[in-house]
Amino acid sequence: MQHQLQHQTTAAVSTPPSTTGEAPPKQVALAMERLSHAARLIADIRLGADRLLEALFVAAEPHKRSKPLDLFIKEDSSMRQHLQGLRSIGKQLEESGVLNESLRSRSNSWGLHMPLVCPDGAVVAYAWKRQLAGQAGASAVDRTRLALKAFTDQKRRFFPHLDDGLTKPASKKHCGAQALVEHNQDKPKNYKSLSDVLTCLEKEVPNLKIFTYERLDWLKRASSLPASADDNSLQGPKHTFPGSSILRPTSQTVVAFDKVAVIELFSPSIFRAVVSLHPAGSIDPDAVAFFSPDEGGSYVHARGSSVYHVFRHITGHAALALQYFIGFRSEAALYSLLHWICNYQTLFSKACSECGRLLAMDRQSALLLPPVSRPFRNFSTSKTSSTGEQNNMNAHPAYHIGCFADEA
Amino acid sequence: MTGSTKRHRIALNLQIPVLFLHFVSLLRFGSVIGVSSVRRQFASFCPSPDKTMPLKWVLHWQPNAGSTVNSQILNEVSQCVESINGVKEGRWKATLTYYRPVIRDQSSASEFPRDFIGMSLPEQPNKYYFIIRVQRLVLEADSSIQMIMEKLQSYKSRVALNFEGFQYQLGDFQLRVGKVVPTHSENLRGIVMEVEYLPISSMDKSRQVMEEFVDIWKDAVSKRSLPGYFMHLEPNFSEYGLGDHYTPQHTAVQYAYVMAQLIASAQAVQAGRN
Repeated sequence: MQHQLQHQTTAAVSTPPSTTGEAPPKQVALAMERLSHAARLIADIRLGADRLLEALFVAAEPHKRSKPLDLFIKEDSSMRQHLQGLRSIGKQLEESGVLNESLRSRSNSWGLHMPLVCPDGAVVAYAWKRQLAGQAGASAVDRTRLALKAFTDQKRRFFPHLDDGLTKPASKKHCGAQALVEHNQDKPKNYKSLSDVLTCLEKEVPNLKIFTYERLDWLKRASSLPASADDNSLQGPKHTFPGSSILRPTSQTVVAFDKVAVIELFSPSIFRAVVSLHPAGSIDPDAVAFFSPDEGGSYVHARGSSVYHVFRHITGHAALALQYFIGFRSEAALYSLLHWICNYQTLFSKACSECGRLLAMDRQSALLLPPVSRPFRNFSTSKTSSTGEQNNMNAHPAYHIGCFADEA
Repeated sequence: MTGSTKRHRIALNLQIPVLFLHFVSLLRFGSVIGVSSVRRQFASFCPSPDKTMPLKWVLHWQPNAGSTVNSQILNEVSQCVESINGVKEGRWKATLTYYRPVIRDQSSASEFPRDFIGMSLPEQPNKYYFIIRVQRLVLEADSSIQMIMEKLQSYKSRVALNFEGFQYQLGDFQLRVGKVVPTHSENLRGIVMEVEYLPISSMDKSRQVMEEFVDIWKDAVSKRSLPGYFMHLEPNFSEYGLGDHYTPQHTAVQYAYVMAQLIASAQAVQAGRN
């Protein structure tokens, strides 16, 4: 059967596409080919969109020449071409009945397996495998549910800030206005360099241990974790940043600031946060993740995911905070982010400001979790350095996941 | 009593030949030990943290005055775990043995410690733990020590108990509900429960979380109107030379205390009857 189909696929390429009076296998082959063509066009369109965005970025730079305009025009024409091609393919598929229900109803009488489009977009010719057969045999409701789940998972992962837009449409404008107000009110000192940021952080938050690494060095260290909590003499070389005032043992390599790509914030027995900088040596964070202080392994990095639920939730929340800080406070993004991370030192001791308890059953995941959310929208770094315990308590509230949604 | 005299006394009282002291390299008296690296099995594909151990509280069932524990209570407790979304994972089993000395000379009988306990824990299959509560001693030995003791004929097993039951996963918490039965018998002597919080291993930092969890748990149990309640006693770990970082020795000490409680309440019931 497969050989037959392949033979007919090659035959289909040479003959002009005509859907009337064709044998079913040939129609299937034609449909397959058109679908893959459509997929290629979609990929081309995606690339074109990327190039357009790139051209926009370049155009935003004030000192560039008119090169972006040529790029724009070129991309515009190629995009139109691709979209036109996609439309024609779509029309052909519609005519052959692939995109509507007619072929589906006929397929049973042919005794053929219809090509299967999986939730993530891959097209499979035959559902031989049990798993795919299960999918093929599943009802439309199940398939839709699977597709929706796959889509929302990916959306949550790659576009975390879109979630907020859905639930609070009215507050978007409000946020924008507030950000402006914040900028004027809360003027942090100008932290232009990494060394400034880290030195300041070290002074203000003495309980936290801060380490910096080059990117590959971090990987090595992650694989050799965890060092035992009582172990003061670490096995490998200890990386602290050059301006650090902590006494350093002799077997240390100091990482030059322009090569620092990973910052590790270690709160003993509470958490380990890994922040990645891009490009190395700058103050632009691009990823953050939280882990248990006892966790180790090569998956412990700024884009990794902890084994434990509580740290997974915090990492998700931190991704939102990172997007917010980059979007609304781009110069002080790293500074704000690091200070915000320091709030989590009270993870296992501070009760939720909404319900007053430490542990609460999270309805969505049916798990008992401590308050993992720390608000970041009105986060002010100046309050961190206040000495009064009372000030600190009220300035940085903590919330359970459910309590946070209600609050905001 | 200082540490050195304690050790000295133990060496004499056990009347173990000098040869045995060579095996002392396996034994470390009453000190904090770098935790042995035993893999902790997770259901998922993620790699497991070595060398550190999440902390655990051991609770025991305290029946109300005049009532005893029975298997109906055990069933209710298991259902209670499932009602707070605990997912049953598998079985677990720990053993505890009371040792009595083989006394050749009757006059020195009173010098021997009465509660010399040996324990095996499921997370550490290659280790065996000894606890002497009155003298605040706990030590970790290789599991082959049991064979050695048998060969030496110095201590014999007086009473051996099993703690066995099911293990439940509740997010980052791992719960174990177990019945206390003597080996080779189905006579239910008590119910124990282990509450483990996996992400952290510091007793201090986790205290609030554990207290709240135990409160939530006690609430859930009290809704079922059972004749009793779960109790948690925290031994003074520093007296045993144990630190803030959780180790299997902490677990062994907690079990020793649980056993003391169970025996005390059983004796109280007995006295009540007489």
